[in-house]
Amino acid sequence: MEQVALEAATHDVSLWALFMQAGWVVKLVMIGLMGASVWTWAIVIDKYVNFAKARRQFDQFEQVFWSGQSLEELYRTLSDRQNVGMAAIFVAAMREWKKSFERGARAPIGLQMRIDRAMDVTISREAESFEARLGSLATIGSAGPFIGLFGTVIGIMTSFQAIAGSKSTNLAVVAPGIAEALLATAIGLVAAIPAVIAYNKFMGDAGKLSGRMEGFADEFSAILSRQIDEKLQPRQAAQ
Amino acid sequence: MKGSVGTSIALHTLVLGWAMISLSAPAPLTVADVEAFPVDIVPIESVTQMQQGDKSAPMKETPSPKETKNQKAVENAENAGENDIDLKTPPTPTKKPVPIEAAAAPKPVERPAPTPTPEQNDVKEIAPEETAPKPVETASLPQPKPEPTPPKPEPTPPKPEPMPPKPEAAKPTPAPVQAENSSETGELPPTPPIPMAKPQPPKPEPPKEEAKPVEKPVEKPPEKKPEPPKPTETAKADTKATDASKPTDKKEGKKQDAAKSSSSQKSDFNADQIAALLDKRDASGGGAKRSATPASTGSTKPSNGAKLSLSEMDALRGQISNNWSTIAGIEGLQGMIIRVHMRLDQSGAIVGEPEVSSSGGSDTARRTMESSARRAVLRSSPFKNLPADKYDSWSEVVVNFDPSELGL
Repeated sequence: MEQVALEAATHDVSLWALFMQAGWVVKLVMIGLMGASVWTWAIVIDKYVNFAKARRQFDQFEQVFWSGQSLEELYRTLSDRQNVGMAAIFVAAMREWKKSFERGARAPIGLQMRIDRAMDVTISREAESFEARLGSLATIGSAGPFIGLFGTVIGIMTSFQAIAGSKSTNLAVVAPGIAEALLATAIGLVAAIPAVIAYNKFMGDAGKLSGRMEGFADEFSAILSRQIDEKLQPRQAAQ
Repeated sequence: MKGSVGTSIALHTLVLGWAMISLSAPAPLTVADVEAFPVDIVPIESVTQMQQGDKSAPMKETPSPKETKNQKAVENAENAGENDIDLKTPPTPTKKPVPIEAAAAPKPVERPAPTPTPEQNDVKEIAPEETAPKPVETASLPQPKPEPTPPKPEPTPPKPEPMPPKPEAAKPTPAPVQAENSSETGELPPTPPIPMAKPQPPKPEPPKEEAKPVEKPVEKPPEKKPEPPKPTETAKADTKATDASKPTDKKEGKKQDAAKSSSSQKSDFNADQIAALLDKRDASGGGAKRSATPASTGSTKPSNGAKLSLSEMDALRGQISNNWSTIAGIEGLQGMIIRVHMRLDQSGAIVGEPEVSSSGGSDTARRTMESSARRAVLRSSPFKNLPADKYDSWSEVVVNFDPSELGL
């Protein structure tokens, strides 16, 4: 059967023919690598869109936040929305603040700590969402060439077995099998190269965004701490 | 995420679809249909020691020239061909013999050709022999003639057969002349060298004129035969003629002598060339060496591919070292090699100057040894015991000497 395929291959060396004449293992590898490539690009597009959106939202929020608008008002407008990034951090911190004052918290240090915790949790959740699926990019980037190579080795093995069967070392007999096997490596590289590049780029972007969030959290924490001191001191003085 | 997966799938389908269409079949390599050019690495010996064969014929185990139809063996022939004479020129392809009438003419010419040298002598002998009976008729001095004839009666018998047409043709005309001659021949004896002196106008005018007319038409063929003989041969004929001075009265004797003298004269301006110009045969070159086997690849040069054997080479070397006057006590001979390059002719004598070169050792020692080598080589010329059939291989010899081997 391999021989027949090889003989037919001498006339047709198009991509589709190369794929169709490959063994099932090589076919599986190729299909898997194609899927990986599709997935890589899906992640790339998704991340690109998400990061751009996140960056835009950060900018907008910072603008609003530093515009001198009342934090209470800002909280009221944001609290009933689905927030991401800095807004989520702000909302989480404000929610914790509100809860503490509604119940009449007495310890300013405990309040400060709770607000920081709430912001940390939100930051880590947001950062996780930024870095989500970047791991699969890394996996595809590192494993793709190996998977392709595996397909190539299997393909060359089978084609050599076919050569041994046909007892001909004519290049026209040998070449299609090798070309077909090499196609697997090619697809592996096609999937892996964008994956590696995208992984590095999006990891950098995600790091920058989390840095921004942490910076904002620190600043907001400082603001809240000042507010806590201002609000608690008159009370203590009154006591 | 769903949207981006969908976008990704759409993108991949697009790219793959484009790849299927545009990269579907890479243009097959258009390899020019060039025939493989076989290259053999041949040792130089297979060129220099190539045996004679036919360049266009297929390869066989032993080279052999084209098969010859003419199976008449010619001794010492070196050049393959159909000819009866060994010519150096390569055989020319025979063209269609269109003029059949012309072909008839060459025939008489061909007859004398087969036996070049021996016949020529016979002719001279016939003349006296045939003249032998005639003296009786003419009553001229018969005694001296029997003497030359006895030793050569045997070669003559075959002669009459090929000759008949000529003598007959000659006879009719001479007959009347003979009568006149008889009277003249009485005077002639005192002047034996006259026929020889044909070129010299003065005396022999009458006999020459008689001989000429007869000779011209009939004796042409014999003239061809005299080509090979050397001047010495004709000289012999002259002496014979003088010995048999009396037979000059005979028509035949005169004819022969006249023919001889004319040919000897012609040889001054290259009779070969003139004969070649007169030769109306097809220009068929080629030698006389016969080949019974079908043609196979080989060199066009006549060669038997023989090489000097080691012992023959040693013999040559020995002849030189025998003549090498050793000079005792030369220093700086270590590692010296003397190389003598010389050209030899067929007799083994050196042609030109032997070239002597050397390497190794000190400068002074080298100079001394070079000159002594030159002396030794010149003294041992002509070299003996060189196989004549391998002349091709020893026409140019390079001998290397190691002074330490010469016992210096």
